[in-house]
Amino acid sequence: MDEFNDSEIARLLRLKRYEQPPPGYFENFLHEFHRRQRDELLRQPLWRICLERVHNLIAGPDARALTSYPAAVTAVLVCAAIISLKIYQQPEKARVALQSPPALSMTPLNAEGELNLASPVSMPILRTQPVRSLNQSAQTHRAAPPRYVLDSVPVSYEPTFRF
Amino acid sequence: MDQPRTDPDQELVKRTQSGDAGAFDELVIKYTPRLYGLVYNMTSNHEDTNDLLQDIFAKAYKAIRGFRGKSSFYTWIHSIAVNMTLNFLKKRGRRFQLSLDDVDASIQNDKEFLELTATSSPVREADLSELQRRLNEAMMKLSDEHRAVVTMFHIQGMPHAEISKILRVSEGTVRSRLFYANRQLQNYLDEFRKNPVS
Repeated sequence: MDEFNDSEIARLLRLKRYEQPPPGYFENFLHEFHRRQRDELLRQPLWRICLERVHNLIAGPDARALTSYPAAVTAVLVCAAIISLKIYQQPEKARVALQSPPALSMTPLNAEGELNLASPVSMPILRTQPVRSLNQSAQTHRAAPPRYVLDSVPVSYEPTFRF
Repeated sequence: MDQPRTDPDQELVKRTQSGDAGAFDELVIKYTPRLYGLVYNMTSNHEDTNDLLQDIFAKAYKAIRGFRGKSSFYTWIHSIAVNMTLNFLKKRGRRFQLSLDDVDASIQNDKEFLELTATSSPVREADLSELQRRLNEAMMKLSDEHRAVVTMFHIQGMPHAEISKILRVSEGTVRSRLFYANRQLQNYLDEFRKNPVS
């Protein structure tokens, strides 16, 4: 059997595992790697470094997590919009009724009972006396139409301050 | 009864992806000797191997954030190494200088080496460096793709399935390339047998 057979070739090739680089090569490899990385960074223009960072961010494993942010922000905005709409669309009567009772109870009306709970906001128009404190007025500042009626009282009708 | 294999490098990869450069250093230390063997046996030149290996790890470091773990890190880094080396060899063409790395002294204790030097007359007659030179020359006669398969299978001891994953070809293609490469090596080494000192 004069020819090399497959197993002999395989054995010969396996001996190539013993071919090794100069001593100390593997120990120095990491230092050389760091040095080259630093050199490369110094050579690169800033815009390229930024571009790579952005590319890595997009291509990175966190990219999928980042895609959920717009959805989350949209959901929060939608919720906020719905809640604010509900607040502004609450029936006005109910609000006034809630805020007005103290004023009604504190200022006795005339015997005829001209003012009733059905039209509480019209009451101050008929009177020159203030029926609401400043705080109460501030609380209803954002209220809708009846509040404008309140504010439309001429300045001259406003009570003067007495010291 | 096969359990799904977990990637032993998964933790280091995750740490690297989250910005821990030290974790990547550990991967470099772990894979440098193995990848050196792969690239060196494909290029047969120490300087080229060194430069390529640096470029391979630099590329892997840049690309590791995009590594999703569909394959093991082992397969991934070997794919990068093989592809970059094949590209380099295409550019280099036939212009290269064979450089021989030192043969580790422990080869003298290798069972297969002892058997070969005891039984095979051409191997016995040639000194070690001559044998090394002949083997490298024989390897360089192969095409780049065939040399890659021979290196991974015979020298690095990888199974066909792993090679097919790294090269992204079928196992049949791997076996076919191996068969063809073995025939070529056989022919070349037979010349060496007939004329051992040429």
